Amino acid sequence: MNRGKRVIALRAMVAGAMLSVAGTGMAQQAMPDFEGVWKIATPTASLKPVSGAVPFTAEGLKSYEANKASRGKGNIDDYDITLSRCSNPGVPRLALTPMRFKIWNRQGVVTFDYEWNRALRQINVGVPPQPDLMGQGLVPTMTGKSKGHWEGNTLVSVMDGGSDRTLIDDLIPHGYDLKVTERYRLIDANTLEDRITIEDPETFTRPWDAVVTYKRQPDAIFAEDICLDRLAAKQPAFPK
Amino acid sequence: MISLRPYVMVQAGSALAALSLVASPALGQDVPSQAEQTRAAQAMAQAQSQPQGAPDSPQAGGQLRLPPGASGSPPPGVLLGPVLTPAQKKVAALPPPAPGLIPPRPPLPKDAAMPSADPRDLQGTWVHNQPLMFRSQNDMYGAAAPYTMAGANVISRRVMSLKDGKPFINASAICRPPGPQWQRDLNFPFLIVQAKDHIEVIFEEYHGRWYISLDPNGAGLPTQKQYMGRSIGRWDGSTLVVETNDFKQALWLDVDGTPLSAQGKLIQRIRKVDVAGQVPYLEIVTTIVDPTYYTNPWSIVRTFGWAPHQAVFAEYNCEEQVGDPSVSADAGLVPEPKD
Repeated sequence: MNRGKRVIALRAMVAGAMLSVAGTGMAQQAMPDFEGVWKIATPTASLKPVSGAVPFTAEGLKSYEANKASRGKGNIDDYDITLSRCSNPGVPRLALTPMRFKIWNRQGVVTFDYEWNRALRQINVGVPPQPDLMGQGLVPTMTGKSKGHWEGNTLVSVMDGGSDRTLIDDLIPHGYDLKVTERYRLIDANTLEDRITIEDPETFTRPWDAVVTYKRQPDAIFAEDICLDRLAAKQPAFPK
Repeated sequence: MISLRPYVMVQAGSALAALSLVASPALGQDVPSQAEQTRAAQAMAQAQSQPQGAPDSPQAGGQLRLPPGASGSPPPGVLLGPVLTPAQKKVAALPPPAPGLIPPRPPLPKDAAMPSADPRDLQGTWVHNQPLMFRSQNDMYGAAAPYTMAGANVISRRVMSLKDGKPFINASAICRPPGPQWQRDLNFPFLIVQAKDHIEVIFEEYHGRWYISLDPNGAGLPTQKQYMGRSIGRWDGSTLVVETNDFKQALWLDVDGTPLSAQGKLIQRIRKVDVAGQVPYLEIVTTIVDPTYYTNPWSIVRTFGWAPHQAVFAEYNCEEQVGDPSVSADAGLVPEPKD
């Protein structure tokens, strides 16, 4: 084991020890140690199906081709407001962000704390529904509503209620009926797998799967990442 | 003056709270200096000197009242309050801030998990539980904010831009981090998570993150200046003392634009107040240190309720709207003149 790996492993152990201490006061649940800093193992802008091609419906293929045409013409805002405006990429595209992210498992909520533009995404595992006194639930959001549960050592999240203004990846469209099921599990102490199932009868003829893996990173304080400052400096929304 | 009254009452309440806190140094508070005690006493005198029996007098319980028949006037020769400087007079003459409200929030469920009993464990979800203060005109003891004339000019310019219907662009309007004080003040939840050498505060709004390094050698802060500043904390008993500076740009400390220059510093004293029989709450006393805009450091206090039932945040995605080519990019706001 080289020094870098030893440091990561040590930090993971220390983080685990600290969490167990914090858990005495915070009702920490006995779950796999997903907490820590992670980064996509193989950066990519595209979500590739595990097998075969993306099973587009005719309508889905038409939208996909339209997106490709808009990209060819440079009309980015016509199809991808993440690239043009730094809008939240939504679920599942957040899984592809090239920068690091942290996972916090606290108070019945698994929080994905992204370095990219300080984005947030949460999976509600145990917080009872609260009255929506400000009507915020009436508006579709980029990250939708994710409800989670544990199946053994796997965190299963089902997301719906997402806006159709997001993309599955850098080109693949979806409609309001998008349902994203994710299964997060540790392959080993330093490798996290997210097995993603995409369903949207308007866009796809059948559910399809993709897998993204992440590698644990040393714990760190993230510098502020301001996507809009990048756009103002004529740089891409996602740094190269 | 009627519209000022709620604010006066809040300040009087703060003064009382402050007095009760400083009377208990064992709780982790510093013993107040002579000047602080004098300001607190002056604040009490000011609160007590409010005319009684007027139609707009507060009727709710818990406020200061004089015995029947008392005039409320001090004996001849007694100083009513501090003499305002020309800069403070300029600020005092501004239109009053809008009255603060608390957005509706669900109550804490009876079976909610409680915070850790460890006073140095601040983790969990909290939300500002006082009415939003649009403009901090007074310190926590009720004394007028110690503006320099440069500071008075800035806040005057900002307040008058609101009155004129041409408010200035600020960080929040263009989806940039508005600074730790603004973030905390909003009545929206935030999550505190702690590690051995750093603390992270994750806010629901503005993609807000407030990183506090407890060991700059172990948990290195970014080398570049940050919109939220660079924060270093240390424990002083049960109180976390955090110094924040190195701001990327000047801050608006509140909605009306109480200024902090980019060279300014915020010192936050954070503690969990655990009174037997009550749900613990978080108290943050913020001292504003900025010779550019203030003649002396001055402090404000806020409290935050325990809110584990609000741990699932609403999504904040201002970029979608700000970047919409079909709407005005500046949302009708105008650039602020430079000093």
